[in-house]
Amino acid sequence: MAARAPSRTLVLFNHNLTMLAREPGPLASRLVMPLVAIAVFEPLDRAAIGSRGGAVQAVTGMLVLFSMLSLALVGGSVLAERLWRTWDRLRMTPVRPLELLVGKSVPTGIVLAVQQAAVLGFGIVAEGLHARSLALLTMVVLVWSATLVAIGSALSLIARSQAELAAIQDIGSFIVTSLGGALVPLAEMPSWARQIAPASPAYWAMSSFRAAVDGNVGAAIHSGSVLLGIAAIATGLAVWRLKRSSTRSARL
Amino acid sequence: MLVAEGLVKRYGSHRALDGFDLEVAPGEVVGLVGRNGAGKTTFVEVVAGLVRPEAGRLQVAGIDALASPRQVRALAGVAPQELALYPSLTVREHLRLFAALTGLGGRSRRKAVDALTEELGLSEVADRRAGLLSGGQRRRTQAACALVGSPPLLLLDEPTVGADPDTRRALLSSVADRARAGAAVVYTTHYLAELDDLDATLAVVDAGQVVARGHRAELLAHLPSRVRVEFAAQGVGACGQASEVVEASFDPAATITRVLAGGGLPRTIEIQRPTLNDLYQELAASHGR
Repeated sequence: MAARAPSRTLVLFNHNLTMLAREPGPLASRLVMPLVAIAVFEPLDRAAIGSRGGAVQAVTGMLVLFSMLSLALVGGSVLAERLWRTWDRLRMTPVRPLELLVGKSVPTGIVLAVQQAAVLGFGIVAEGLHARSLALLTMVVLVWSATLVAIGSALSLIARSQAELAAIQDIGSFIVTSLGGALVPLAEMPSWARQIAPASPAYWAMSSFRAAVDGNVGAAIHSGSVLLGIAAIATGLAVWRLKRSSTRSARL
Repeated sequence: MLVAEGLVKRYGSHRALDGFDLEVAPGEVVGLVGRNGAGKTTFVEVVAGLVRPEAGRLQVAGIDALASPRQVRALAGVAPQELALYPSLTVREHLRLFAALTGLGGRSRRKAVDALTEELGLSEVADRRAGLLSGGQRRRTQAACALVGSPPLLLLDEPTVGADPDTRRALLSSVADRARAGAAVVYTTHYLAELDDLDATLAVVDAGQVVARGHRAELLAHLPSRVRVEFAAQGVGACGQASEVVEASFDPAATITRVLAGGGLPRTIEIQRPTLNDLYQELAASHGR
C-alpha cells in the first residue's frame, strides 16, 4: 500500500519543483543580480589586486555573496510551508523527516547550483575568468550548494516567524560574507577581521572556489571538507529539530 | 481499529490529555465533542503522529502507534482543523500529491483523484489554484486529501467549520459512505446535527478525558428540558403572578399544563431541550471542575 521511500522522496521533489516553477520571480532576480554586480565590481577588484586576481575576486566574491543571500529561498520555502500549515500536513503522511527535508531542499539546491553555474559561466565568458579545472569547480559548486541548503533548512526550522528568518538571513549573510572576504579581498581587510575569517562558512567557500579556479585539488578538498562538515552539522540540527518538534507549526 | 488508553500530553503545566481513553471499531463514527481546549485536537494530533504523548497506549489496527507512528500514518487520512493547502497548487495537484504519498500511483491514482473530485463536487474547479477557491471549496479539497486512497482510519477535525450547507452535505455523505465501507472515523465537531446525520456515537471530552460515551439521546436523556412560559400583561395583573415562569422539567407537557392552570394569558411558551452545553456543565460539575 505505502510507497517505498525513494518514490516518496521523488514525489516530494517533483512537488517542490512545481512550487518553485509557479513563483519564478525570486529565482529570476537571484540569477540576474549577481551578474550585474560582477560587471560593476570587477573593474574595482581588477584595479585593487590585478587583472587575474581581480576577475577571480569579483566572480567568486559575488557568487558567494548572492548565493548566501539566496538562503532566503531555501529558508523561505520551508517557513512558508510552516505558515501554510502544509508542513504539519505532510508530517501526518507516512513521509520520514529526512525524506521531507531532502524532497524540500534538493530542488532549491538545484536552483542554487544553477545560480552559481550562471555566475561562473558569465565570469568565464564575459570577465575572462580562467578556470583550470571545470570538474573541480563543479564539485565545489555542489558542495557549497549542499552547505547552503543545510544551513537554510536548519535556520527555517529554528526561526519562529518570517520576520525573524529574514533578519537572521539578511544580517547573517552580510556578516558572514563580509568576514569571509567575499566583498573585500582578505588581504585588504583589517587584521582582526582576518583573524576571525575562518569562522565564516563564506571564507571556506571563497577558498574552495579560488582553489578550484587555480586547479589546486588539495586545497579545494581541504576547504570543501570543512564546508561538508558545516553542512553535516546543519543537517543534523534540522533533522533533530524536525523530529523533536512535538508542536503544531500553527503555533509559530 | 483504534484503542487509546490513558494518554497523557502536557504543554507546560497544562494537561491537554489527562488519561484519555477511547475505542473506535471499524465502520464506527465517533463524534468527539467538548468545549474548545478540551483536548479533542490534541488527541487527533497524537493519533496522526504529530504529537507524542508522555504516557499511555495507542493501537491502530493492532499496531503500536507510539512505537511505529509511520505505519499508522500510512493507515490514516487526516483533515486538520485549520486549512493546510498550497495556494499555488490546484485541487487536482493536491489530491495527486497526497494520493502519491499514500502509495497510489499511475492509473489507480488518476481514478481515485477523478472519483473524489466528482464525489465532493470539485470537478469544475479541479484545475483551479487553491488560493483562488472559495472557503467551502477549500474545505472540500482539504477533506478530499484525507479521503484519497480510502484509508481505513479517518481523523476529521472540525471538517465543516465555515462551510456552506452544500459543502456540509457533500462531506457528510462522503464520510458516511466511508464508514459504511468499514472505515473507522473520528470526527470532532460542535455541530450535533452532523453527528446525527452520521449516526455517530458521542465521546464527550472535558479537561483531556473522555467523560461520557454513547448516543446523543442516551447522553441527554437524564437532563431536564427548560420550560419557559411568558404571560401577557393583563394576565400578570389578574393573577398577581410573575410575568414569566421558567422551570426545569423532565415532562414539559405536564409542567406547562400545571403552570397554565394557575391562570393568566400566556403570550409565549418555549420548551428548550437539553443541549451539549448543559451536558458539559453537568459533567464538569460532577467531576468537580
